[in-house]
Amino acid sequence: MKGRWAGRALLGVPTAFLLGLFVLPLLSMVVLSFWRTENYHIVQDWNLGNYITLATGGAYVTFLIRSLVMASAVSLVCILIAWPVSYSIILYGGRYRLLLTLAFAVPFLTGEVLRVIALQGLLGPLGLINAMLMALGNAPLRFIMYTNVASAIGLIYLYLPIVVTVIYLSLLNFDARLIDAAKIFGASPLRAFVEVTWPLNLFGTLIGFALCFIPCLSATLAPRFLGGPNGTLYGMAMAQQFGESGTWALGAAMGVVLFLTSLIAVLLVGMRVNLRRTGFTGFGRG
Amino acid sequence: MTPHVTIAASSETPAAPEGAASAGSSVARRDVLKTIAAGALAALATPYIRPASAAPSQLRALMWEGYLLPEVIAAFEEKHGVKFTPTFFDGNSEAYNKLRVGGTRDFDLVQADGFWPSLYYREKLIRTVDYAKIPATQHLFPVFKPAEFKLLTDAATGVDFGVPFCWGSYGTTYNADVVPAEKAASIELLFDPAYAGRLSTSARFEENIALAGILVATRMGTIDKPRPNGKPFNPYDLTDEELAGVEKLLIEQKPLLLTRYQDNPTLAQLLESGAVVAAPEFAQTYRLLLAKKAKGEIDTTFAHTLVPKEGGLGWVDTWLVSSGVPDGPMLDVCQSFIDTMITPETMKKVALASGCSTTIDIRSLSTPEEQALYLMDRTGELSKMYMFDQPSSTEKWERVWSRMQAA
Repeated sequence: MKGRWAGRALLGVPTAFLLGLFVLPLLSMVVLSFWRTENYHIVQDWNLGNYITLATGGAYVTFLIRSLVMASAVSLVCILIAWPVSYSIILYGGRYRLLLTLAFAVPFLTGEVLRVIALQGLLGPLGLINAMLMALGNAPLRFIMYTNVASAIGLIYLYLPIVVTVIYLSLLNFDARLIDAAKIFGASPLRAFVEVTWPLNLFGTLIGFALCFIPCLSATLAPRFLGGPNGTLYGMAMAQQFGESGTWALGAAMGVVLFLTSLIAVLLVGMRVNLRRTGFTGFGRG
Repeated sequence: MTPHVTIAASSETPAAPEGAASAGSSVARRDVLKTIAAGALAALATPYIRPASAAPSQLRALMWEGYLLPEVIAAFEEKHGVKFTPTFFDGNSEAYNKLRVGGTRDFDLVQADGFWPSLYYREKLIRTVDYAKIPATQHLFPVFKPAEFKLLTDAATGVDFGVPFCWGSYGTTYNADVVPAEKAASIELLFDPAYAGRLSTSARFEENIALAGILVATRMGTIDKPRPNGKPFNPYDLTDEELAGVEKLLIEQKPLLLTRYQDNPTLAQLLESGAVVAAPEFAQTYRLLLAKKAKGEIDTTFAHTLVPKEGGLGWVDTWLVSSGVPDGPMLDVCQSFIDTMITPETMKKVALASGCSTTIDIRSLSTPEEQALYLMDRTGELSKMYMFDQPSSTEKWERVWSRMQAA
């Protein structure tokens, strides 16, 4: 009986946290999205105008598509880089493997703005790469100066450590003896990876994907500092509504759309995973 | 049925006034709870409630970061026994948003430029100031004194509601080795395909649209024609046709831009490296580059067009007092602070630290080079500029900007 109350009390803390700091702000944003603004004034006039603008105003659909493409590409690249890195650390890291993984978190010791500005310096016209090329008598690489490629590089740089850490933790909890078992039964290393290692770490991989995909979808800093004139993404356009243009109601509607898009994306990915096969429980299905 | 609680008075209890609950009387629990709640509320609120006559202990300012002078602030704090607490903002609209959502209670001093102070005054976000209590205003250049500079005076009552501080334009800084002066004299330079990939503009949506608006209205011939609102042309109040023209022009400009710079150091790097040859800016980067040239750190010659021939944008930063400040000691401290900030000695430091021109005449403290660099003899050109203002419809302007960004 005592344990049951203790459990409820302990679960109550995160529940209150989520209700107070996530659900309530989200609800207030939903309410605001059905109002409108007029020259920096909020008019409490219930209407669907903001959603109609988002659906018919072309520009916002373009921003969303750009962001979906960018977030998908960046997340895939991160997974492709993170897998061999994490796998190598697990296999060959020995007693330093935790240190090696933590080394990926070192950039987090500085702020995100600082990291993006540092990258701007690296990729810009006077940056290390182009300065070196020009010193060698070559033309500078224009595709890394204020382009969507530069934004993508920035986002990969920002979120790769998260993906590496998640996949590393997934692999850490994976019983490597299963690979040996597969090999004993005649599986090639490739087949053992495809049929044992990959599916049993798929859930961790997807968590890594989601933890990269969702912040990329709402990214503002990387496109702002690295993206150039054609690099406006959805998150950047949304931040603009809450900043200088003061069109908060439209920004709130953009936020609601972003939340729903992220939710749908996560559900779509989640539906493709057989949780029992990956060895995970806790989704109410035992 | 109302639950009751009996409160017994001790023998030391002073005689209760007539009508009050006496010893042995029965008091409703709800009343007791109300009393406790009121007491708790009063205890919690006490630190935040100060009588108007009390000596202020804090001075809170909503200001631009570039104008913060730590040594001047420290001396002011020591002299007046107040703690100065600044909050910074990037654009007028951001400061306006902050003030509108309760900022008049959170800030004593506010900064704004162009027509924004008059908007603040109309919306009762700021209050009047007394120039007699700010003696350093006597050093204002004539063009910034209330007799000539009307943006900080209420036309109906004649009261002043702000003090000019720094001024400048949103002119074009260009690489004089690459761009001829006659081309740089026009806004057309920023849309010239001959410099494709070597142009840059700021990320500020208002000024991009307003500057393009001047060019569009010039091309359409509407700049000198009677306006639908009966007022003279204002690039912040464009017709739908002009806005459509601006959108088209800004879309055409996109492939010509290397980037929209986010800060002055980035622009300085781009100009210095030769990656960008022309960009509109507040002349701060221009001054920085000139200083580098004087030191022999760069070879390139840079020049600055203050007002393009079609007309340009200008701004006068001001100090304002929030409407939350009552008459009395708090207002006195606010006005003393403004006075401290606009003394010629402080303004010289402000000019050197921020790279801005001052509204206070500091020629006696400046070298001939500084007088030229900080445009001290060109204050008259202010009258040719359109002052920074609030867009006539932020919603329409936002759509134009978004469509351009998505194009």
